[in-house]
Amino acid sequence: MTASTETLDRVRSLSQEGYKYGFVTDIEAETAPPGLNEEIVRFISAKKEEPEWLLEWRLAAFRAWREMTQPDWAKLNLAPIDYQAATYYSAPKQNAGPKSLDEVDPELLRTYEKLGIPLREREALAGVAVDAVFDSISVATTFKEELSKLGIIFCSMGEAVREHPDLVRKYLGTVVPQNDNFFAALNSAVFSDGSFAYIPTGVRCPMELSTYFRINAAKTGQFERTLLIADKGSYVSYLEGCTAPQRDENQLHAAVVELIAHEDAQIKYSTVQNWYPGDAEGRGGIYNFVTKRGACRGARSKISWTQVETGSAITWKYPSCVLEGDHSVGEFYSVAITNNRQQADTGTKMIHIGKGTRSTILSKGISAGRGQNTYRGLVRVQPRAQNARNHTQCDSLLIGDRCGAHTVPYIEVRNPSARVEHEATTSKISEDQLFYCQQRGLNAEDAVSLIVNGFCKEVLKELPMEFAVEAQKLLAVSLEGSVG
Amino acid sequence: MSAVVDFPVKPEARPYLEAFGRDRRRGDPAWLRGYRRRSLARFAELGFPSRRSEAWRYIDLRQLEQRPMLPTARPTPVVTSALATQLAEIGLAEPSYRLVLVDGKFAPELSSLDQLPSTVRLGSIAAAIAERPDLVRSALEAQSPDRPFASLNAAFFAGGFVLDIAPGIALERPVEILHLAAGDAAGALYTRSLVVAGQDSRATVVESFAGSGDYWRNDVIELRLGAGSELTRVTFVAEGVDALHFGETLARLDEASRLSGFVLLAGGRTVRHDVTVRSEGAGSRCDLNGVFLLSGRQEANILTTVDHRAPGGETREVFKGVATGHAHGAFQGRITVRPGAQKVDAHQLSRNLVLSPRAAIDTKPELEIYADDVKCSHGAAIGDLDEAALFYLRARGISNNEARRMLIEAFAQEAVDLIEQAPLREHLRSRLTRRLATLEE
Repeated sequence: MTASTETLDRVRSLSQEGYKYGFVTDIEAETAPPGLNEEIVRFISAKKEEPEWLLEWRLAAFRAWREMTQPDWAKLNLAPIDYQAATYYSAPKQNAGPKSLDEVDPELLRTYEKLGIPLREREALAGVAVDAVFDSISVATTFKEELSKLGIIFCSMGEAVREHPDLVRKYLGTVVPQNDNFFAALNSAVFSDGSFAYIPTGVRCPMELSTYFRINAAKTGQFERTLLIADKGSYVSYLEGCTAPQRDENQLHAAVVELIAHEDAQIKYSTVQNWYPGDAEGRGGIYNFVTKRGACRGARSKISWTQVETGSAITWKYPSCVLEGDHSVGEFYSVAITNNRQQADTGTKMIHIGKGTRSTILSKGISAGRGQNTYRGLVRVQPRAQNARNHTQCDSLLIGDRCGAHTVPYIEVRNPSARVEHEATTSKISEDQLFYCQQRGLNAEDAVSLIVNGFCKEVLKELPMEFAVEAQKLLAVSLEGSVG
Repeated sequence: MSAVVDFPVKPEARPYLEAFGRDRRRGDPAWLRGYRRRSLARFAELGFPSRRSEAWRYIDLRQLEQRPMLPTARPTPVVTSALATQLAEIGLAEPSYRLVLVDGKFAPELSSLDQLPSTVRLGSIAAAIAERPDLVRSALEAQSPDRPFASLNAAFFAGGFVLDIAPGIALERPVEILHLAAGDAAGALYTRSLVVAGQDSRATVVESFAGSGDYWRNDVIELRLGAGSELTRVTFVAEGVDALHFGETLARLDEASRLSGFVLLAGGRTVRHDVTVRSEGAGSRCDLNGVFLLSGRQEANILTTVDHRAPGGETREVFKGVATGHAHGAFQGRITVRPGAQKVDAHQLSRNLVLSPRAAIDTKPELEIYADDVKCSHGAAIGDLDEAALFYLRARGISNNEARRMLIEAFAQEAVDLIEQAPLREHLRSRLTRRLATLEE
C-alpha cells in the first residue's frame, strides 16, 4: 500500500537526507486570522456551513477550554504554547467541490504522489479506501461506492455532518466529551475536519479503511476529529498514518478519535505516526496532543489499538478503552521510538466496568539519542467488573547513555475477583546480540535495526500486513544515526 | 511570632500557625528557632497536599483538613498499665538496647541502655541538640523543603532519638526504639530522629509504634549510612485504631553500604510509610520489603523512592498488600537511575490481595531510567486468593476460614522471610499471625 515500500527504500538510500517528507506544497490557502476566541469558532462553523446545534456544541467546548489549563503531569519538557498565535482554520482553495479526482488541484495530487498515497491508479492495487485529509478539508474519497453498497458510511466529518446529522449528533462527544481535557476541549471547539465511519449491523467491512493526515500551511494547527461507529456484530479495521513537511516552527496538533463498538462488534484501529520530529537539535517538530478513546458499549464487543509512534517532537497520547459491555475486550499494542530530542509520554487506559471484561497491554519503548520515552498507563477495575482480567507488559530499550526510559503504570482495583498483572523491564541492546550480527557481516546500524525489529515484533504483528512492512522500515529510518 | 505574617498562608495551615505562635519553646537555641520558623513558613505556603499531587493521590486527608491536630503540651508521662501492655505487645523478646519514647519523650525508666558500648551513643534528640548541635543541624537541613508534613514536623518536633554508631563497630544486639502514645488527649505527636552508621559499622534498628486514643503521629527520620556500613531497619506500625501515622524516612547511602528495610503496617486508621533512599556512593545496596494488612476502614500507603545517583547500585523490593472489609491500600514505588549511574540492577515487586467487594488496592510501580547499561524491572499484580489452592485445602478438611487465613499468611510471609536475622524474623512472623487472626472478622 501507501507510503509504500519503494518510497521508503528510496529514502533509506538517501542516507543523510534526514526527514524524507520535508517539503512544502504551495497552495493558496484560505486561512483564518491567528488567535482563538468565540468569533473564530463561529467563523470555522460558518465556513463549514454547520447547523446551529454544532455551533453551540463548539461554543460550549470553547467556554470549557477557556476555564482549563494545559496539563503538566506528563514527563514532557516543552516551551509554553501560545494558543493565540496559532491559526485555527486553513483550507486548500478550491473553486467548487471536486466531482472526481481530475478536478483535484494537481499540486495536491503531486503531494500525495510524493507521499506515496495511491489516490488514483494505485487504488485498486492497494485495496484501500483513502480519505485523504490535506490540512483541514477532505479532498477526495475513494471506494465510496463499493462501501455504500454494504451500507457502510465512510466520509469526511464535514460531509457526515451534512449527510448524516442524526448519526453524528447521536454519537459525537459521547466517548470524549467536550470538556474531557484541555486538548480535547480545544479540538471540540475548533476541529476542522476528520473522518467518519459507520458500519451497520452485521456487516464486515471488506477493506481496511484509511486516512492520511498531513499538516501543510504554515502556522496551521491541525485539529482532526474522527468518529467511528461499529454497530451490532460488525467488524472494521481502520488505518491511520501521517507525515508532515519539514518546518522550523513547532506545530500544534490536537486530534480526537472516538470509537464506539456495539454488541459483538469489533474495531481494529492501527496508527503509524510519523509527524516531523524536529531536527537533531530539537528545533521544530510537531507537538502531538491526542485524545483517543474507544467505548465497548455492547456485550462481547472488542476494540484494539495498535500504534507505531516514531514521529513528533512531543507525543502526548493515551488511546484508551472503556469496557462497559459485559465480556468486552480491550487491547493496546504500542511501539514508541524517541530519537534525538524527541519526547513521548504515551500509554493507555483500560477502564473495566462490565463483568468478565478483559484487556491486554503490550508496550515497547525505544529511546535513543537524547530522547525521553515514558509509558503511562492506567488499569482500573470498577466494583461491578466481576472477574475482570488484565495483563500488561511494557519493555523499554535504551540506545546510548543520554536518553531516558520511564514506566509509570497505575493499577487500581475495586473488585476482589479481578486479576491484574503488570510486568516491565528496562535494558539496553545486548552487546552479545550486536556482536553476533556484526560478526555475520551486518553493519552496526543494520544490526540495531534488526534487533529493534525483533524487540517490537509482538506489536508489529498486530498491524495489517502492508502497514507492518511500512512500520518496520520506519523503525530503521527513525533510529538512523543513533549508533556508531 | 506575631499573628501578622509576611508569607502566604493556606487556610488549612492557619490553626498550626496560631499554635506555633502560642508555643514559646524557650529551650531552643537560636539556629533551631530560625529553622522552625522557616519550616513553618514553608508549610504555610504549601498547605496540605491535594489528591492531584502524585504522592498523595491514594490517601484521604479530608478528616485531617477539617479537624486540625495540633501539638499538645503533654505532662511528663507516668507509666501506666496501658503503657505496660503496649510494651509487651510490641517489644522484642530477645535482649536489646531499648529506648522508649512516650508521646515522643524519652522515658528512662522504661528503657534499658546500660549495656550499650561506649562507642555507640543513643539518646533523645533534645539531649543531642544540647550536646552536639552541629550533627543535628546538618541532619535537619538535609530534608527536602517540598514535603509539607516534614516541614510541619520541623516546626513542631518535640521528641525523637539520635543513634550514632562509631566506625567499625558491629552491634550484637538490636537497638529497639518503642514509640508509645499514652492517649491522654487528642493531638499530634511530632518526632524527629537520626541514625548515623559510621564507616563499616553494622547494626539493626527496630522501631515499633503503638498507642491508644485519638492522635496523629508525624515521624521523620534520617538514616546516614557511611561507606561499607550495614544497617537493618525494621518498622512495625501497630498504632491505635483511631490513630493517624505519617512516617517519613530519608536514607543516604555511601559507597558499598547496605540498607535492609522492612515494614509491617498492621494498625492505625490512616497510615503512611514513605521512604526515600538516595544511593550516593557507588556499589550500594538497598533492600526494601514490607507488608500491609488492612481491614475495617483502614487506609494505608507505602511509598518508596530509590534514587540511584551513583553507578553499580542494587535495589530489591518486595511489597505485599492485603485489604479486606472497606479498607484501602496503596503502594507507590519509584526507582530512578540518574545519568551516569551505570550498571544499576534494580527489581521491584508489588503483589496484592483484595479480599472483599468493598476493599480496594492501588499500585503504581514506577521506573525512571536515564542510563542505558542497567537492568531494571518491576512487576505488579492484584487479585484474590487462588481458587485452586483454596479448594486443595478445603478438600483436606480444613475450614474455609482457616484455609483462607493460611493462604493469606503464606502470601504475606514471603516478604517477612526476607529478613535475614532469625529472631527478628520470628518476632515479625508472630506479629503477622496475630494481626491475621482478626483480619477477616
